[in-house]
Amino acid sequence: MDAGKAVRANRPVLAAGIRSFTFHDDETTALRDVTVSFAAGSFTAILGASGSGKSTLGRLLAAWLPPGGHGALAGFLELSGSRLEFDGGPSDPRIDPAQWGRHVGFVPQDPATVLSTVRSTVAEELAFGLENSGMERAAMKAAVGRTAALLGLHDQLEQDPARLSGGQLRRLAIGCAIITGPPVLVMDEPFASLDAAGADGLAAVVRDLLARGTAVVILSQAIDPLLLEAGTWVVLSGGTVTGSGPPAAMGTGSGVLPPAIRRPAPVPAPVAVSRPGVPQTGIPALQLRGVDFAYPAGPGARRRLRKAGPTGEPGGPPLVLRGADLAVHPGEIVAVTGPNGAGKSTLLRHFNGLLRPTAGSVLVRGADISGAPVGRTAASVGLLFQQPRDQLFERSALREVSFGLARLVGPALAAQRATAALASVGLADAAQEHPAELPASAQRLLALATVLARKPAVLALDEPTVALDGDGLALLDATVRLAAAEGAAVVLVTHDLGYARSVAHRTVALDGGRLVPA
Amino acid sequence: MTASSPRTAAGPDRPGRLNPLTLLAAAGSTAVITTAAGSWPLSLTVLAASLGLSAAGGTARRVVAAAAAILVPLSLSLVMLHGLFFPEGTTVLAEWGPGRVTAEGLGFAGRRILQLGAVVLALLVFSFSVSVPDLVAALSARGVQGRFAFVLASTLTLLPAISARARRIRQAQESRGLVVTRGLLSRVAAFRLQAVPLVLSLVEDAGTRSAALEARGLSNAGPRTSYREVPDSRLQRTARAVLVLVAAAALVLRLVQAGASA
Repeated sequence: MDAGKAVRANRPVLAAGIRSFTFHDDETTALRDVTVSFAAGSFTAILGASGSGKSTLGRLLAAWLPPGGHGALAGFLELSGSRLEFDGGPSDPRIDPAQWGRHVGFVPQDPATVLSTVRSTVAEELAFGLENSGMERAAMKAAVGRTAALLGLHDQLEQDPARLSGGQLRRLAIGCAIITGPPVLVMDEPFASLDAAGADGLAAVVRDLLARGTAVVILSQAIDPLLLEAGTWVVLSGGTVTGSGPPAAMGTGSGVLPPAIRRPAPVPAPVAVSRPGVPQTGIPALQLRGVDFAYPAGPGARRRLRKAGPTGEPGGPPLVLRGADLAVHPGEIVAVTGPNGAGKSTLLRHFNGLLRPTAGSVLVRGADISGAPVGRTAASVGLLFQQPRDQLFERSALREVSFGLARLVGPALAAQRATAALASVGLADAAQEHPAELPASAQRLLALATVLARKPAVLALDEPTVALDGDGLALLDATVRLAAAEGAAVVLVTHDLGYARSVAHRTVALDGGRLVPA
Repeated sequence: MTASSPRTAAGPDRPGRLNPLTLLAAAGSTAVITTAAGSWPLSLTVLAASLGLSAAGGTARRVVAAAAAILVPLSLSLVMLHGLFFPEGTTVLAEWGPGRVTAEGLGFAGRRILQLGAVVLALLVFSFSVSVPDLVAALSARGVQGRFAFVLASTLTLLPAISARARRIRQAQESRGLVVTRGLLSRVAAFRLQAVPLVLSLVEDAGTRSAALEARGLSNAGPRTSYREVPDSRLQRTARAVLVLVAAAALVLRLVQAGASA
């Protein structure tokens, strides 16, 4: 199995021959018999389900996981023709991550980990790597402008990186990786949380980089349309390469791709009216009446406002939601779509009172929640956060699901509910594992289990499909439909129009702060 | 604290904002001169000026709150100590056993409090009005090691970062039924639930972030540049030099006086 066959003629800029890689705190081998090589200007997709070893391979290639530090590598890494041999012993060569980083840019699965946290604007964050290499300011300004234009971040340059939306944050992380112009770019699940425009933008960036001779490697658990343009697909399963070759030879019929790898869902035609079977009478489980919302203006916000011109009340901060109306009945599934940064997550946080409207009201089962503490509304409203790391805080998966359950249903029923919720998302065997050590897809499902275990009347899901592999998506789909069938009102926010239309009874778009039928 | 209006330090886009080192020099020399001079009219002037500046800069509330936290216990102990037990005191105002409240003692305590207050306020006005990114950029431009500048910046951004993380954890817990009310007890109980996850997540975060920072060249030995433009001028450079010299002179003068009177 050699991924480099197609590009053997060219000398690879980056190559790896991994006989085995084992984490120090784990007995099982994370990777074995993985040989990959990437020539200048080549485009490779490494496909694998969650937990297949993709992220480990990506981090090894980018020296974010230097051999010897967290695990033992037997094999070699080769960069621009110079080969480093490792046997897992103390005499192994040491990698200088900064030197390596100049040649291999890396975008991790969680884009927030890229941020230096000490830079106050997106522009400065982009420039961080250039500053460290001592580039002149004029050249830095040009590079920042170029990169921002490439990624559609121009309007965010003066914004605080901590206040970007999920999709914008991913673009910033990509920008930080490519701004120094590394000959190799490795991206781990770059399409997660990008809207259609963002995915198109990313595709353009990749094509541009390829044309300039950059070797691009994308690690993914889904076959995004862009990946059909790759020269080579490498399939990773159980930590080893199970197939590789040009995409044409690896289609659905070849049997090379494991079923857990997601294929893009065709976008079904919009459903104009509610599907039959969902009564829209009686008291809605959730109702928003003319909700306005604006984030309080901080010093940064005031600056932005001056630049962009006031869009809210004269002199006030801009409204994220303006007169948003929504009614969701028990058993109904409503999808909310909209581009990155439209305010979708902001909308969901109103459902349980984490954010309070500046005008208008939110009613849960007919009762205004304005005076109720979040913890009390949470008995009726379950919220799945966009980032699992914002939701998970306990030491084990079981503790995570059990948090607060005993208070809700009593200790005896709590244990039963927690186990059942874990089982419903396929995590029964992972009950004692640390949430942070689970693969991304499992983290998302665990977060979902914490919400499902409470059996809320309103289920609010923020980008639930992001980071899920095919198996995970099937589980999500089944649990959402089941919850609705049992009478929960489900609101899911997603940029994945295909999924939205396949599962929801109706779809609304968040457009200019208003909810309009999509 | 001469021409330093803290308001100008808040907005990076504002023209005419001062170099953070100028602000630092102004605050530092003010503190040194006030301490060295030991003159209550000067202390009072500095105090009033600092309050005025922080009011103009919109930081008055935070400055006063922080100053009160530092100065109230200190002032009480100074009044207790010098007001009651001042050996040179002759004008006795009241007497309880071994303790005598003397006018001289109270006067001495008052002068000390004014002096301390002036120093504390000058430094607080600086720390609440300086732009941290500017300060870090100014320091790196002067060859301060990238790692050190980073540590300094993270120290200054640590508290907001921790409180943001704690808020995220609390929101996750509230979304799963933790009821936090405005009462102190409820908040303390909630914090107890957040403490362990908070520490664990900060540790884990530090681990993953360090790989990113290393890959982006944080530890590079060579020279580094700064994207952020920190305004500076010949006038400011001169002002800084003068401020440092005056502070040094005040210190020397004080030492000479002390030596002469000894």
